[in-house]
Amino acid sequence: MSVITLRESLRAAMTEEMERDERVFLMGEEVAQYNGAYKVSEGMLAKFGPKRIIDTPISEAGFAGLGVGAAATGLRPIIEFMSWSFTLVCMDQIMNNAANVRYMSGGQFKIPVVFRGGNGIAHQLGATHSHRMESVYSRVPGLIVVAPSSPANAKGLLKSSIRCDDPVIFLESEKMLADVGEVPDSTEFTLPLGIANIERPGKDVTVISYGRPLQRAVRPAVQALVKDHNVDVELIDLQTLRPLDLPTILESIKKTNRCVIIDEDWGYCGMGSGILYKIQKPAFDYLDAPIEYVHSDEIPVPFNHFLEEAMMPSVDRIVSSVKEVCYK
Amino acid sequence: MPVYVTMPQLSDTMSEGVVVKWIKKEGDPVKQGNIIAEVETDKATMEMEAFDAGTVAQLLAKEGDKIAVGQPIAVLATGKETVEQGKQWHSQQGGKAAAAPSAPAAAPAEVAKPAAIEASTVAAPAPAAATAVAAPPPPSHAHSGDNGRTLRVSPLARRIASDKGIDLTQLQGSGPEGRIIQRDVLAYTPSALPPAPVGSGQKELIPLTKMRLTIAKRLLGSKQNIPHFYESMDVDVEELSVLRVQMNKRLEKEKIKLSLGDFVSKAVAMALIEHPGLNATFDGAQITRFGDVHLGMAVAIPDGLIVPVLKNIHRLSVKEIRQRSVDLAERARAQKLKQDEMSGATFTVSNLGAYGVKEFSAIINPPEVGILAVGAAEKRAVVRGDAIVARTMMTVTLSADHRVVDGATAAEFLRTLKGFLQEPGMMLA
Repeated sequence: MSVITLRESLRAAMTEEMERDERVFLMGEEVAQYNGAYKVSEGMLAKFGPKRIIDTPISEAGFAGLGVGAAATGLRPIIEFMSWSFTLVCMDQIMNNAANVRYMSGGQFKIPVVFRGGNGIAHQLGATHSHRMESVYSRVPGLIVVAPSSPANAKGLLKSSIRCDDPVIFLESEKMLADVGEVPDSTEFTLPLGIANIERPGKDVTVISYGRPLQRAVRPAVQALVKDHNVDVELIDLQTLRPLDLPTILESIKKTNRCVIIDEDWGYCGMGSGILYKIQKPAFDYLDAPIEYVHSDEIPVPFNHFLEEAMMPSVDRIVSSVKEVCYK
Repeated sequence: MPVYVTMPQLSDTMSEGVVVKWIKKEGDPVKQGNIIAEVETDKATMEMEAFDAGTVAQLLAKEGDKIAVGQPIAVLATGKETVEQGKQWHSQQGGKAAAAPSAPAAAPAEVAKPAAIEASTVAAPAPAAATAVAAPPPPSHAHSGDNGRTLRVSPLARRIASDKGIDLTQLQGSGPEGRIIQRDVLAYTPSALPPAPVGSGQKELIPLTKMRLTIAKRLLGSKQNIPHFYESMDVDVEELSVLRVQMNKRLEKEKIKLSLGDFVSKAVAMALIEHPGLNATFDGAQITRFGDVHLGMAVAIPDGLIVPVLKNIHRLSVKEIRQRSVDLAERARAQKLKQDEMSGATFTVSNLGAYGVKEFSAIINPPEVGILAVGAAEKRAVVRGDAIVARTMMTVTLSADHRVVDGATAAEFLRTLKGFLQEPGMMLA
């Protein structure tokens, strides 16, 4: 175990996988010469050289497509986006090509590519750079969508994503890169995709979240609920958003009989809406209260610090929603 | 959403009713329990209560119209709809005016049944009363609550209640807007344990359950409308007790244990066949006598009682009576009886012998004309010849409706009954 930042754990995952498999390479804006826009790939150019750490122009549609093609022809690219908001210009490469080539070629081609970068609201980046893209990609059959929430699971999940033979959407957050935590040193430490983590077992209510919302607001809210409000929360970190780990969720709800989902997405057609759709029917006869969904307000993300904070789920909103489903 | 107000079944035999007078007009606000109309049934003119609160949107029947039971007679806007929206809703439903029964044979059972359920749900203002012996309480309505609106129940609470056979209408919800939630169902204990004593200096307000309300209205109606008279007789059941012990020894391996009450039921059935004047119903105009005996059997349940009916009991052996009554009583306590297992009685027996009650008189369950109250069998000092001897004795008390049963008729029935009980061999004759 080492205590390192999430930034370092991502770097460790990529470095280990590149050492393990020479087909793996990293490509993106500023990943090489500048040592990474957010310093995730710091030192990797020096270690692996310009054939495997490749700078690109500001051309998401170009290098995302290049990644899909490289994967189809036998390499295992890691494509770094500075922000997932920028993938709105390469939707065709990801949603049409990466997600469908294996299906449409009858399995002749597989697309083992990882697209990774910062997702969601990351403090005063404005409306166009704050998109939460999880609900967009989690809809798409053929894609796997992963959202780490700690340095340890960032490493384990990224290594599994690189080894995965299907395209993986890997959603980080700039606001989590400096998070510190214990991370296993083993080069064989991986976490399975498609499996949620019960971060805290409890018996009163199932709280479901993932990634940045979990780190920013849900963990403090759960702490307050347990400590100050005597609510024994079972906290589920989804880790993988597609495919959703339905068995773990349902088993938990059958035990607690209540559920609150929290994300920073817009509510309508948001990530939580999709999760709610998947669970409400199989969980129906076990529910003692309607499932609550705490999400961001349906407005463009404001640049103003206070307005940005106000639109997102706060600890208070989460606490009161959880208490509501507990009839407290 | 608007709802229809339908012609209620205000008596067992009612198939149609005449709207004598509208008390509420279109546009009038209505509270649950308000009198909205006067309805003439085959028995009498009665006030008809609203099941739901709302606003009268449209009257579908004119005063003087004869309407089949279960047919709509008015449209009630129960939500925020306007009178106009209520009318619109009615026309979307196919919008006919209230229909009279097409033929005298109309008001088929299919129509009459749900109406009967509704009528009992709201504790029909009919004299249709219960006895010690209340009428069958409404079957558990998962969908309609006390105020006629949707009963709010969480899915989990509904499932638990269904698994445990708990009638949700007996519960008070503690969730938002009275939603019945898990903790309410789990806290509900339908045990026969006496309620916790109210602390000194405290008082406790108990809102009436629907069953309690039904019992209250029906018993009041019976006592107000039926001139009861009572006749008691002491019966020597010494021989019967010996016979019972012998039979139970033989039946031990079948795990059947006959009670004295089973023999009483058998004897009552046989006596009723001989005295059809008591195996009858009276609707205020005519007496109906029955060739078969369907015996109502009062069963105590937490905060109320239910009267399951032993159909065609005169054809059953004592053993069969035992088996059927155990089954009915168990399902009555679990509130799992079907509607037709709680209706159609031609006479009722109420037995408090197990509680050691020596004698009591019961209230008639209309439209029946009699009910037998059975006390405990106990050793008493009685005179035989010139000697005082100890014999097992039981006192039975018949309540009868003096409008149609006379004292001598009742006495003859009791004498026959006593004969069967004192010489149980005669039940085989």
